[in-house]
Amino acid sequence: MKALMWVGMAVVFGFLISVIWTVFSRGAKAMSWEMVSQLPGGGFYIGKEGGFLNAIVGSLYIVGASTAIGLLISVPVVFYLNVYLKKDSKLAYVARLACDVLFGMPSIVYGAFGFTVMVFFGLRTSLLGGIIVITLLIIPIFIRSMDEATRNFPRDILDASFALGATKWETLKVVLRQIAPGIATATLLSVGRAIGDAASVMFTAGYTDSIPTSLSQPAATLPLAVFFQLSSPIPEVQDRAYAAALVLTIIVLILSIGGRFITHRFSKNKL
Amino acid sequence: MLGRRILKDRVAHGTMATLTVFVILMVLVMAVGLCLKSAPVLEGQSLWTLLGSSEWKPMKGQFGFLPFIMGTLWVTFLAVLIALPISLLTAIFLTEYARPVVRRFVFPALDILAALPSVIYGVWGMLVIVPWISERLAPHFVEFSSGYTVLAAGIVLGVMVIPLLVSLFIEVFSSVPMELREASIALGATRWQTTRKVVLRKTLPGVLAATVLAISRAMGETIAVLMVCGCVIGIPTSVLDSAYPIPALIANNYGEMLSMPLYESALMFAALILFAVVLIFNLISRIVLYRIERRDA
Amino acid sequence: MAIEVQHLNVHIGDNHILKDVNLTLPERQITCIIGPSGCGKSTLLRTLNRLIDSTEGVKLDGKVLVDGEDIIGSGPEITELRRKIGLVSQRPCPLPMSIFDNVAYGCRINKMFKRRKSLIYAVQKNLMAVGLWQEVRGRVRTPAARLSIGQQQRLCLARSLAVAPQYILADEATSALDPISSKTVEDLFVSLKNEYTIIMVTHTLRQALRIADNVVFMYLGEIIEQGPADQVFNHPQQELTQKYLSGAFS
Repeated sequence: MKALMWVGMAVVFGFLISVIWTVFSRGAKAMSWEMVSQLPGGGFYIGKEGGFLNAIVGSLYIVGASTAIGLLISVPVVFYLNVYLKKDSKLAYVARLACDVLFGMPSIVYGAFGFTVMVFFGLRTSLLGGIIVITLLIIPIFIRSMDEATRNFPRDILDASFALGATKWETLKVVLRQIAPGIATATLLSVGRAIGDAASVMFTAGYTDSIPTSLSQPAATLPLAVFFQLSSPIPEVQDRAYAAALVLTIIVLILSIGGRFITHRFSKNKL
Repeated sequence: MLGRRILKDRVAHGTMATLTVFVILMVLVMAVGLCLKSAPVLEGQSLWTLLGSSEWKPMKGQFGFLPFIMGTLWVTFLAVLIALPISLLTAIFLTEYARPVVRRFVFPALDILAALPSVIYGVWGMLVIVPWISERLAPHFVEFSSGYTVLAAGIVLGVMVIPLLVSLFIEVFSSVPMELREASIALGATRWQTTRKVVLRKTLPGVLAATVLAISRAMGETIAVLMVCGCVIGIPTSVLDSAYPIPALIANNYGEMLSMPLYESALMFAALILFAVVLIFNLISRIVLYRIERRDA
Repeated sequence: MAIEVQHLNVHIGDNHILKDVNLTLPERQITCIIGPSGCGKSTLLRTLNRLIDSTEGVKLDGKVLVDGEDIIGSGPEITELRRKIGLVSQRPCPLPMSIFDNVAYGCRINKMFKRRKSLIYAVQKNLMAVGLWQEVRGRVRTPAARLSIGQQQRLCLARSLAVAPQYILADEATSALDPISSKTVEDLFVSLKNEYTIIMVTHTLRQALRIADNVVFMYLGEIIEQGPADQVFNHPQQELTQKYLSGAFS
């Protein structure tokens, strides 16, 4: 039995190595400085020159904005669930359940839903649409993982703060300090998810060759740069896709490994 | 002075409560939005024709979802079939057998597997799995296969749900108190007997819930599947056939549907099916998992 | 001024935790609440500053008069009342910040000092009051979590004193400490009773014997006996109190 388990583990590692090796070896061949520093030349399906700077910038815009908005929305919710509401509150139960359900929603459903919302408000595929839908997508991730860090928060610390005459709102500062590592890991997790998600931005952010200059213009994203350019018959365009895949993988690897370090660095003041 | 502080606290309370309710309502808003959007196609055809017919002729206004539903089921079933044994063994090994050192190596690996974007899995599937199927595997069974098959999608998806399954299983297994294991070991049971008769039996509901959760995750996965499934409309009859799962259908046609309201509505209905199935699966399994967690606490 | 408890009943869910509690806690004295575990001592303490609010399904009725003001019916003004009532809990729990910030926390929140200098002075004064200043003077900017557990408990006391309370509630404040730190903290309470009204929950009879001016004996949510320490310990009126003191149950 134990041998079988080792086999299981080996298979898991095998898959991981295979995926990363494939992306790296194929991507490295296509990689060049021009890839990450230039816009695609003459149409992303057919133009042979240039790189995918548009997708890098587009992804940065969308991920940056939605992470910021997501944090602004989810920190208060987590704080509310854990400090304002009592331990066995029904509302907190429902809210946690809702987050778990939203967390499990496929991103294509988010995409479709986001699309209907945009149609409702008369928006076209745009940077703004991408930001909105990615924000909605990562809020449950934010809330879930910060909530996990906060739930074990020592009740005594809250009591100590209240006993000194602090209101609940004033206690936020204390809670934030204590869960800082949790917030950092949650952010990395959300950024990782936000940057890699393709299905939701497909409908909402669209795709374009240029860098958006306003919120109402469509924006390219890295995963879509991989997806669309890979379906092109021209090898040079496919190369761009492989290079984009390499960049995307490296970003995600950095985020994932960085997350492990951050947990240790931030816990200086933690109990 | 004090009044202002209390006012601040009140305002904060109100804002936070609103945001929390907003998050809860998002589920409802999604449901309502998708329902409204898919209403037109439901007017034209009954629910049962939509789900049970395999006539897909958007130009004539006929939308039979059966091929896509079957495609989703095939791919999902295969993915879980591949992922379940591997994940179960890995999770048992990590919780019951492995020393902490091993965990220190495996957890980061699982983290990375979970973090890799689905488009990367798609690239991997196209570069590795698809050629392997079409050149090595398929020739033994059929004359020709492009490699873009149910099997390819199943393997890629299977790998993608492994980290989710393992982490859920580990959580479930850790909820079994150590004393219970010790009691069994003290009675002369081996580690494996203990695992099988005590740990697995005690956590069966949790294991099932985790599996259901993985199924719902696999069902909704889009890009990776879209890249390797072949996207040929038709009900697959073997794992070496192409498939066209629902998420791929939605993603593939997003551009064209804009010109035809009924087509758009049909795709939104497809999204609604996914939403409903995932919602129900998630609700059930999460509630079961909550129960287990609480019993543990 | 003092704390007066009149006909206080506390329910948590279906459980009747405190049953018709009547109590006077005299000023500038140490009152020890004793009794077997689970008798409602801590609940009573947590009701006095309404920290009990954060418990699910709690219902309070009766009156708790602090300086003549009923705190049971009061709404958000409880925040101000809590400032007047310091709390030292069972396990020391420093806030996740530096030693200095821990003591300054309450002052800052209540905006007690306009000038930074007076804040620094106040922190220093309170650290001195608990005898911690000599031990930490060079490192007040380091995280409080690095102090020893006995030092942490004194820090918590200093933190409570910094917001100028009139009352100090201590919930088995020495039970998590080693004997030496325990003695230090105990002595501190004795030295503080000239300025503060101290209410202590304790499960060690001997501690109550050493420092109490007044003793309240509780059993199953009821007050069985209360009075000056001498009287309760040496001439208990109730049979139950006698039994408890003789160690028949605990």
